[in-house]
Amino acid sequence: MNSTADRAVTTYLKRLDADLADLPRARRREIVDEIAEHIAEAQAQHPTQSEADTRTMLERLGDPADIAADARQRFGVVRARPGWMETAALVLLLFGGFVFGVGWIVGLILLWSSTVWKPWEKLLGTLVIPGGLAGSVFVFSLWATGAGGGHSIGPCTTNAGETCTTGGGSDVLPYVGFGLLVVAPLITTPYLAWRMRQRGELATV
Amino acid sequence: MVVASQEALLAQMRRGTLQYCVLSLLADDERYGFDLVRELAEVDGMVTSEGTIYPLLSRLRRDGLVESSWQESPAGPPRRYYRLTDAGRASLEGFVREWARFRAAVDHFVERKAS
Repeated sequence: MNSTADRAVTTYLKRLDADLADLPRARRREIVDEIAEHIAEAQAQHPTQSEADTRTMLERLGDPADIAADARQRFGVVRARPGWMETAALVLLLFGGFVFGVGWIVGLILLWSSTVWKPWEKLLGTLVIPGGLAGSVFVFSLWATGAGGGHSIGPCTTNAGETCTTGGGSDVLPYVGFGLLVVAPLITTPYLAWRMRQRGELATV
Repeated sequence: MVVASQEALLAQMRRGTLQYCVLSLLADDERYGFDLVRELAEVDGMVTSEGTIYPLLSRLRRDGLVESSWQESPAGPPRRYYRLTDAGRASLEGFVREWARFRAAVDHFVERKAS
Protein backbone atom coordinates (compact mmCIF):
# COMPACT_ATOMS: atom_id res chain seq x y z
CA MET A 1 0.00 0.00 0.00
CA ASN A 2 1.57 3.26 -1.01
CA SER A 3 0.85 6.69 0.32
CA THR A 4 -0.69 8.13 -2.87
CA ALA A 5 -3.34 5.42 -2.84
CA ASP A 6 -3.89 6.04 0.88
CA ARG A 7 -4.40 9.70 0.15
CA ALA A 8 -6.94 8.88 -2.56
CA VAL A 9 -8.88 6.77 -0.04
CA THR A 10 -8.74 9.50 2.61
CA THR A 11 -9.93 12.12 0.13
CA TYR A 12 -12.73 9.84 -1.01
CA LEU A 13 -13.99 9.22 2.53
CA LYS A 14 -13.79 12.91 3.38
CA ARG A 15 -15.83 13.83 0.33
CA LEU A 16 -18.37 11.16 1.17
CA ASP A 17 -18.68 12.42 4.72
CA ALA A 18 -19.19 15.98 3.50
CA ASP A 19 -21.76 14.94 0.89
CA LEU A 20 -23.75 13.04 3.52
CA ALA A 21 -24.08 16.17 5.66
CA ASP A 22 -27.88 16.30 5.28
CA LEU A 23 -28.37 12.90 6.90
CA PRO A 24 -28.86 12.33 10.63
CA ARG A 25 -25.47 12.04 12.27
CA ALA A 26 -25.80 8.35 13.22
CA ARG A 27 -26.80 7.31 9.66
CA ARG A 28 -24.00 9.33 8.19
CA ARG A 29 -21.39 7.78 10.45
CA GLU A 30 -22.74 4.30 9.80
CA ILE A 31 -22.51 4.67 6.02
CA VAL A 32 -19.03 6.21 6.08
CA ASP A 33 -17.81 3.49 8.49
CA GLU A 34 -19.16 0.71 6.33
CA ILE A 35 -17.63 2.07 3.17
CA ALA A 36 -14.32 2.46 5.01
CA GLU A 37 -14.69 -1.22 6.05
CA HIS A 38 -15.41 -2.16 2.43
CA ILE A 39 -12.18 -0.46 1.36
CA ALA A 40 -10.19 -2.07 4.19
CA GLU A 41 -11.60 -5.47 3.22
CA ALA A 42 -10.64 -4.97 -0.42
CA GLN A 43 -7.14 -4.01 0.64
CA ALA A 44 -6.86 -6.98 3.00
CA GLN A 45 -7.91 -9.37 0.25
CA HIS A 46 -5.43 -7.91 -2.22
CA PRO A 47 -2.44 -6.75 -0.19
CA THR A 48 -0.46 -6.07 -3.34
CA GLN A 49 -3.00 -3.63 -4.69
CA SER A 50 -1.45 -0.97 -6.89
CA GLU A 51 -2.55 2.64 -6.92
CA ALA A 52 -4.47 1.96 -10.13
CA ASP A 53 -6.30 -0.93 -8.40
CA THR A 54 -7.27 1.32 -5.52
CA ARG A 55 -8.58 3.96 -7.90
CA THR A 56 -10.56 1.35 -9.81
CA MET A 57 -12.09 0.11 -6.56
CA LEU A 58 -13.10 3.67 -5.58
CA GLU A 59 -14.58 4.20 -9.03
CA ARG A 60 -16.67 1.05 -8.66
CA LEU A 61 -17.91 2.24 -5.31
CA GLY A 62 -19.18 5.28 -7.17
CA ASP A 63 -19.11 9.04 -6.87
CA PRO A 64 -19.66 10.13 -3.23
CA ALA A 65 -22.30 12.57 -4.49
CA ASP A 66 -24.24 9.68 -6.09
CA ILE A 67 -24.02 7.58 -2.92
CA ALA A 68 -25.20 10.58 -0.88
CA ALA A 69 -28.09 11.22 -3.29
CA ASP A 70 -29.10 7.57 -2.98
CA ALA A 71 -28.83 7.72 0.82
CA ARG A 72 -31.04 10.83 0.94
CA GLN A 73 -33.67 9.00 -1.11
CA ARG A 74 -33.45 5.88 1.06
CA PHE A 75 -33.95 7.88 4.22
CA GLY A 76 -36.45 10.32 2.76
CA VAL A 77 -34.24 13.31 3.52
CA VAL A 78 -35.08 16.32 1.39
CA ARG A 79 -32.03 18.30 0.46
CA ALA A 80 -32.21 21.72 2.05
CA ARG A 81 -32.94 24.24 -0.68
CA PRO A 82 -33.36 27.81 0.51
CA GLY A 83 -36.50 29.55 -0.72
CA TRP A 84 -38.79 32.46 0.16
CA MET A 85 -39.29 31.05 3.66
CA GLU A 86 -35.64 31.53 4.55
CA THR A 87 -35.51 35.02 3.09
CA ALA A 88 -38.67 35.97 5.00
CA ALA A 89 -37.17 34.52 8.18
CA LEU A 90 -34.11 36.73 7.92
CA VAL A 91 -36.04 39.92 7.06
CA LEU A 92 -38.52 39.33 9.89
CA LEU A 93 -35.79 38.51 12.40
CA LEU A 94 -34.19 41.85 11.64
CA PHE A 95 -37.21 44.15 11.22
CA GLY A 96 -40.20 42.07 12.33
CA GLY A 97 -39.89 43.31 15.90
CA PHE A 98 -41.22 46.72 14.82
CA VAL A 99 -44.53 45.08 13.93
CA PHE A 100 -45.68 44.85 17.56
CA GLY A 101 -42.99 42.23 18.13
CA VAL A 102 -45.17 39.65 16.37
CA GLY A 103 -43.17 39.83 13.14
CA TRP A 104 -40.06 38.74 14.96
CA ILE A 105 -41.83 35.72 16.44
CA VAL A 106 -43.04 34.71 12.97
CA GLY A 107 -39.44 35.09 11.78
CA LEU A 108 -38.32 32.88 14.65
CA ILE A 109 -40.80 30.15 13.71
CA LEU A 110 -39.66 30.28 10.09
CA LEU A 111 -36.02 30.17 11.18
CA TRP A 112 -36.48 27.06 13.31
CA SER A 113 -38.65 25.21 10.82
CA SER A 114 -36.12 25.67 8.03
CA THR A 115 -33.72 22.81 7.32
CA VAL A 116 -31.10 25.08 5.80
CA TRP A 117 -29.40 26.15 9.03
CA LYS A 118 -27.68 24.08 11.64
CA PRO A 119 -29.01 24.21 15.23
CA TRP A 120 -26.25 26.46 16.52
CA GLU A 121 -26.83 28.91 13.68
CA LYS A 122 -30.52 29.01 14.58
CA LEU A 123 -29.55 29.65 18.19
CA LEU A 124 -27.33 32.50 17.03
CA GLY A 125 -30.22 33.97 15.04
CA THR A 126 -32.49 33.68 18.07
CA LEU A 127 -30.21 35.13 20.73
CA VAL A 128 -28.55 37.91 18.72
CA ILE A 129 -30.70 39.86 19.35
CA PRO A 130 -34.16 38.85 20.62
CA GLY A 131 -36.59 41.16 18.82
CA GLY A 132 -34.05 42.08 16.16
CA LEU A 133 -33.40 45.79 15.66
CA ALA A 134 -36.59 46.58 17.57
CA GLY A 135 -35.10 44.64 20.47
CA SER A 136 -31.99 46.78 20.25
CA VAL A 137 -34.03 49.98 20.31
CA PHE A 138 -36.15 48.68 23.20
CA VAL A 139 -33.16 47.69 25.32
CA PHE A 140 -31.54 51.02 24.56
CA SER A 141 -34.61 53.03 25.54
CA LEU A 142 -34.84 51.11 28.84
CA TRP A 143 -31.21 51.76 29.40
CA ALA A 144 -31.42 55.45 28.51
CA THR A 145 -34.44 56.13 30.74
CA GLY A 146 -32.82 54.05 33.47
CA ALA A 147 -29.57 55.99 33.25
CA GLY A 148 -31.29 59.32 32.80
CA GLY A 149 -34.04 58.39 35.23
CA GLY A 150 -33.90 58.00 38.98
CA HIS A 151 -33.18 61.29 40.66
CA SER A 152 -32.68 63.23 37.44
CA ILE A 153 -36.14 62.79 35.87
CA GLY A 154 -37.41 66.00 37.41
CA PRO A 155 -34.71 68.39 36.26
CA CYS A 156 -34.54 66.86 32.82
CA THR A 157 -38.23 67.16 32.00
CA THR A 158 -38.28 70.81 33.05
CA ASN A 159 -35.45 71.58 30.66
CA ALA A 160 -37.42 70.22 27.70
CA GLY A 161 -35.47 70.27 24.46
CA GLU A 162 -32.13 70.06 26.20
CA THR A 163 -30.20 66.88 26.71
CA CYS A 164 -29.77 65.67 30.20
CA THR A 165 -26.09 65.85 31.12
CA THR A 166 -26.35 65.43 34.86
CA GLY A 167 -25.00 61.88 34.55
CA GLY A 168 -21.61 63.21 33.50
CA GLY A 169 -19.16 60.76 31.85
CA SER A 170 -21.57 57.78 31.97
CA ASP A 171 -23.50 59.35 29.07
CA VAL A 172 -21.14 57.88 26.49
CA LEU A 173 -21.70 54.32 27.67
CA PRO A 174 -25.32 53.94 26.51
CA TYR A 175 -24.33 55.05 23.02
CA VAL A 176 -21.54 52.47 22.83
CA GLY A 177 -24.03 49.88 24.08
CA PHE A 178 -26.59 50.98 21.52
CA GLY A 179 -23.95 50.76 18.79
CA LEU A 180 -23.19 47.18 19.78
CA LEU A 181 -26.88 46.28 20.02
CA VAL A 182 -27.50 47.57 16.49
CA VAL A 183 -24.33 46.20 14.96
CA ALA A 184 -24.72 42.66 16.37
CA PRO A 185 -27.89 41.70 14.41
CA LEU A 186 -26.47 43.54 11.40
CA ILE A 187 -23.58 41.06 11.50
CA THR A 188 -25.43 37.85 12.35
CA THR A 189 -28.16 38.32 9.72
CA PRO A 190 -25.73 38.62 6.77
CA TYR A 191 -23.83 35.68 8.24
CA LEU A 192 -26.97 33.52 8.21
CA ALA A 193 -27.74 34.76 4.69
CA TRP A 194 -24.25 33.78 3.61
CA ARG A 195 -24.62 30.25 5.05
CA MET A 196 -27.99 29.99 3.32
CA ARG A 197 -26.56 30.95 -0.06
CA GLN A 198 -23.67 28.57 0.40
CA ARG A 199 -26.02 25.65 1.02
CA GLY A 200 -28.15 26.76 -1.92
CA GLU A 201 -25.16 26.51 -4.22
CA LEU A 202 -24.36 23.08 -2.85
CA ALA A 203 -27.91 21.98 -3.53
CA THR A 204 -27.87 22.97 -7.19
CA VAL A 205 -24.61 21.14 -7.99
CA MET B 1 -36.02 4.95 -28.90
CA VAL B 2 -35.15 5.06 -25.21
CA VAL B 3 -36.53 8.25 -23.72
CA ALA B 4 -35.24 9.82 -20.54
CA SER B 5 -38.38 8.98 -18.57
CA GLN B 6 -37.96 5.33 -19.46
CA GLU B 7 -34.39 5.40 -18.18
CA ALA B 8 -35.64 6.98 -14.97
CA LEU B 9 -38.33 4.33 -14.60
CA LEU B 10 -35.83 1.51 -15.04
CA ALA B 11 -33.50 3.14 -12.52
CA GLN B 12 -36.36 3.39 -10.02
CA MET B 13 -37.36 -0.23 -10.63
CA ARG B 14 -33.79 -1.35 -10.07
CA ARG B 15 -33.58 0.71 -6.91
CA GLY B 16 -36.87 -0.56 -5.59
CA THR B 17 -36.13 -4.24 -6.18
CA LEU B 18 -32.49 -4.11 -5.03
CA GLN B 19 -33.65 -4.33 -1.44
CA TYR B 20 -35.27 -7.71 -2.10
CA CYS B 21 -32.23 -8.96 -3.97
CA VAL B 22 -30.20 -8.18 -0.85
CA LEU B 23 -32.76 -9.89 1.40
CA SER B 24 -32.71 -12.93 -0.93
CA LEU B 25 -28.95 -13.15 -0.77
CA LEU B 26 -29.20 -13.16 3.02
CA ALA B 27 -32.03 -15.73 3.10
CA ASP B 28 -29.76 -18.78 3.26
CA ASP B 29 -26.65 -17.47 4.86
CA GLU B 30 -25.26 -14.45 6.67
CA ARG B 31 -22.83 -12.32 4.70
CA TYR B 32 -20.54 -9.35 5.20
CA GLY B 33 -20.90 -6.14 3.19
CA PHE B 34 -18.03 -6.62 0.79
CA ASP B 35 -19.19 -10.13 -0.02
CA LEU B 36 -22.76 -8.95 -0.65
CA VAL B 37 -21.56 -6.18 -2.93
CA ARG B 38 -19.41 -8.58 -4.91
CA GLU B 39 -22.32 -10.98 -5.47
CA LEU B 40 -24.65 -8.20 -6.57
CA ALA B 41 -22.09 -6.59 -8.86
CA GLU B 42 -21.51 -9.91 -10.64
CA VAL B 43 -24.99 -9.77 -12.13
CA ASP B 44 -25.06 -7.31 -14.98
CA GLY B 45 -27.43 -4.37 -14.72
CA MET B 46 -28.26 -4.61 -11.03
CA VAL B 47 -25.90 -2.15 -9.37
CA THR B 48 -24.31 0.85 -11.03
CA SER B 49 -22.30 2.16 -8.09
CA GLU B 50 -21.41 -0.43 -5.47
CA GLY B 51 -21.31 2.12 -2.67
CA THR B 52 -25.09 2.59 -2.83
CA ILE B 53 -25.52 -0.83 -1.19
CA TYR B 54 -24.42 0.66 2.12
CA PRO B 55 -27.16 3.26 2.53
CA LEU B 56 -29.57 0.44 1.67
CA LEU B 57 -28.10 -1.87 4.32
CA SER B 58 -28.28 0.94 6.83
CA ARG B 59 -31.94 1.49 6.01
CA LEU B 60 -32.74 -2.24 6.19
CA ARG B 61 -31.11 -2.49 9.58
CA ARG B 62 -33.00 0.54 10.81
CA ASP B 63 -36.26 -0.98 9.61
CA GLY B 64 -35.42 -4.17 11.49
CA LEU B 65 -35.33 -6.34 8.35
CA VAL B 66 -31.68 -7.30 8.88
CA GLU B 67 -29.36 -7.34 11.86
CA SER B 68 -25.61 -7.28 12.01
CA SER B 69 -22.85 -8.61 14.23
CA TRP B 70 -19.10 -8.40 14.22
CA GLN B 71 -17.02 -11.48 13.51
CA GLU B 72 -13.31 -12.05 13.25
CA SER B 73 -11.97 -12.46 9.75
CA PRO B 74 -9.35 -15.13 8.94
CA ALA B 75 -7.29 -12.35 7.37
CA GLY B 76 -7.68 -8.62 7.77
CA PRO B 77 -9.98 -6.50 9.94
CA PRO B 78 -13.13 -7.88 11.66
CA ARG B 79 -16.24 -8.05 9.50
CA ARG B 80 -19.78 -6.88 10.04
CA TYR B 81 -22.03 -9.80 9.11
CA TYR B 82 -25.65 -9.27 8.11
CA ARG B 83 -28.42 -11.71 8.76
CA LEU B 84 -32.16 -11.72 8.00
CA THR B 85 -34.55 -11.09 10.89
CA ASP B 86 -38.00 -12.69 11.07
CA ALA B 87 -39.50 -9.42 9.82
CA GLY B 88 -37.01 -9.46 6.95
CA ARG B 89 -37.98 -13.00 6.01
CA ALA B 90 -41.67 -12.13 6.09
CA SER B 91 -41.05 -9.05 3.95
CA LEU B 92 -39.10 -11.10 1.41
CA GLU B 93 -41.79 -13.79 1.21
CA GLY B 94 -44.48 -11.19 0.68
CA PHE B 95 -42.49 -9.58 -2.10
CA VAL B 96 -41.67 -12.86 -3.83
CA ARG B 97 -45.38 -13.74 -4.03
CA GLU B 98 -46.37 -10.37 -5.42
CA TRP B 99 -43.39 -10.24 -7.74
CA ALA B 100 -44.31 -13.57 -9.32
CA ARG B 101 -47.85 -12.36 -9.97
CA PHE B 102 -46.68 -9.01 -11.30
CA ARG B 103 -44.01 -10.51 -13.54
CA ALA B 104 -46.49 -13.06 -14.95
CA ALA B 105 -49.00 -10.28 -15.63
CA VAL B 106 -46.50 -8.08 -17.46
CA ASP B 107 -45.05 -11.03 -19.36
CA HIS B 108 -48.53 -12.02 -20.46
CA PHE B 109 -48.77 -8.81 -22.47
CA VAL B 110 -45.25 -7.93 -23.52
CA GLU B 111 -44.12 -11.42 -24.51
CA ARG B 112 -47.12 -12.05 -26.76
CA LYS B 113 -46.21 -8.84 -28.54
CA ALA B 114 -42.55 -9.82 -28.88
CA SER B 115 -43.18 -13.28 -30.36
